[in-house]
Amino acid sequence: MSENENRDRPIIDMRNVSVDFPVKGPIPFMPKKKVRAVTDVSLTIDYGETFGIVGESGCGKSTLANAMIGMVKPTAGDVLFKDVDLFKLKRKEFKRIRRDMQMIFQDPYSSLNPRFNVYQLISEPMFIRGGVSDEDMKARVVELLELVGLSDDDLYRHPSDFSGGQRQRIGIARAISLNPDFLVCDEPVSALDVSVHAQILNLLVEIQSKLKLTYVFISHNLAVVKNVCDNMIVMYLGKVMESGSAESIFRNPKHPYTHALLSAVLDVDIENRKERVVLKGDIPSPIDPPKGCRFWKRCPFAMTGCKDKPAELLDIEPNHAVACHLVNDVFTDAEKDAGLNQPIEDHAEGLLGTHGKK
Amino acid sequence: MNDNMLTMRNLKVVFPSNAGMIRAVEGIDLDIRKGECVAVVGESGCGKSVTSLAVMKLLNSPPALMRVDELRLDDEELKDYSETKMQSIRGQHISIIFQDAMTALNPVMTVGRQVDEMFLRHNDISKKEARKRTLEALELVGVPEAKSRANNFPHQLSGGMRQRVLIAMAFACMPKLIIADEPTTALDVTIQAQVLEVLRGMQQKHDVSLMLITHDLSVVSNVADTVYVMYSGKIVEKASVRDLFKTPHHPYSYGLLASVPKLSDTKHQFVQIPDSVPHPLRKPSGCYFHPRCRYATEQCKKEMPPLERFDNGREVRCYHPLNVTDTELQS
Repeated sequence: MSENENRDRPIIDMRNVSVDFPVKGPIPFMPKKKVRAVTDVSLTIDYGETFGIVGESGCGKSTLANAMIGMVKPTAGDVLFKDVDLFKLKRKEFKRIRRDMQMIFQDPYSSLNPRFNVYQLISEPMFIRGGVSDEDMKARVVELLELVGLSDDDLYRHPSDFSGGQRQRIGIARAISLNPDFLVCDEPVSALDVSVHAQILNLLVEIQSKLKLTYVFISHNLAVVKNVCDNMIVMYLGKVMESGSAESIFRNPKHPYTHALLSAVLDVDIENRKERVVLKGDIPSPIDPPKGCRFWKRCPFAMTGCKDKPAELLDIEPNHAVACHLVNDVFTDAEKDAGLNQPIEDHAEGLLGTHGKK
Repeated sequence: MNDNMLTMRNLKVVFPSNAGMIRAVEGIDLDIRKGECVAVVGESGCGKSVTSLAVMKLLNSPPALMRVDELRLDDEELKDYSETKMQSIRGQHISIIFQDAMTALNPVMTVGRQVDEMFLRHNDISKKEARKRTLEALELVGVPEAKSRANNFPHQLSGGMRQRVLIAMAFACMPKLIIADEPTTALDVTIQAQVLEVLRGMQQKHDVSLMLITHDLSVVSNVADTVYVMYSGKIVEKASVRDLFKTPHHPYSYGLLASVPKLSDTKHQFVQIPDSVPHPLRKPSGCYFHPRCRYATEQCKKEMPPLERFDNGREVRCYHPLNVTDTELQS
């Protein structure tokens, strides 16, 4: 679409992005506290790939995606979309480049205006862009409806006439109406019925191959991510714990948190059920995240050194990086002599429960 | 004496509306044995939550109209009980765990007082004694530092903790039957695993019957003993967990199981069931599932298949059940 399109360069390049949100304290003029939603995240997304972001609620995955499309201004770091820094653009230029990135929302019940009919909903982006005649617009809407598996009979019906799955299809049609290159899918199926999940996921995959789209796929369902994504990151409290190709992360998960997430997934497979490791405790508040490694308070393998030294993302194999002191073995000999690589006393017990076989 | 904790026969619930009668539940039989965990699975709008409320007789009437031939808890027939009488049953003999703990708890009362209420309502004890039991109950479900937590308001607790408080309330009077309506849907995966562990542990330790309402098949496979699959207000299949997950008989159960993404999968297309659940006002003729069913025949379009019972206790509502073994056919 835009003139500086070079498909060999990454479509999204984030460099050391941090997003903080100020919170009001109980007393005025008190030093303001900050929610550290995203801290120091760097990543690149190539053209045509599906990039997964996984984590528990409150770990910053939606904020990160919003920063990618310029909805949230990072407090630090740069976001390059097609080698253009989104936050240095003029308003008008930004508006133009925003056409190339669209979003599919989680809840199709609240993301569609109930007073609009399908035609109005899907044509609104084109209407705002302008320069399209009414006939062309209508032809395009019908074409889009067919692409997402609805028919032109539905053109003048309202969202309330549709089921959740059909509404999500309308949302998808609206998102692709301006021929974007980049689509953020924020938990696209988690609000839908189980039997419709597969339909929508298949539709997304089909549209991607037809229109050569790049997806960012946010989900807490690891089984979906495994089946859809090429590359992924695992986030915890605003930091990337593990990143790399989905294949290598699922084949060889390294970070204790990734392990815990994978083991918490309940599988419908009752034939080969494995012993599960269940993390105790809750995700700490992002207002005052733990110093050092963000995960150490819930990590069953935490060492003394993890309390103070932040874990950095280091490659362990091509296209697979982990932020963990234990895996990367980062402590120098002097630090080891000081006992930093010793397990924290009385820490591991109480953190793990095993959810055994039935 | 029988070993059924809950026996329900022919439950029907309708909601009259301007556009016509919404038949939410159309004649459901439910048996829950003592100490058993029964799961009712279905998608939104299939009537599973209405069923759970009907067991508690919590449906507001009007608008809901409810009819049941038999509703027996242990040896007590609840069918004709008045509201006052039901109030002494609820909490003491049946209790319910709601889906969204934030809305189920009173936001302006400390959680401790809310659990106290359970004890004070059903036992003749002092407030001090009630608080003592509350702390015990909270500790039992794994709330750390129960003493100070009891003085917290719901918004001060995390989602997992709130759900634990609800579980503590449900188990407070050691009821005979606990209904859990989507107990983990609003929670994160790691917290979901914790809460299920607590729920299952409490259920086995105290040998109460559990009725689990959910749409999540993975939860079912990990917790339940027997499964009822509901579709559009009717039960389409009943089987033990092992049987259902190994050899689903009804095409809908088969489709549901196949469409769940699994970690053991390799990358490929997702198996999908076409279309979506019928609108409750526009239910199709014959078998409700036939427009979405690959195996539908003329007969399916005309007549609703009966709920057929096999010798091994399985029940299927289908003319063309899948994976039926020869031994089952002979019965």
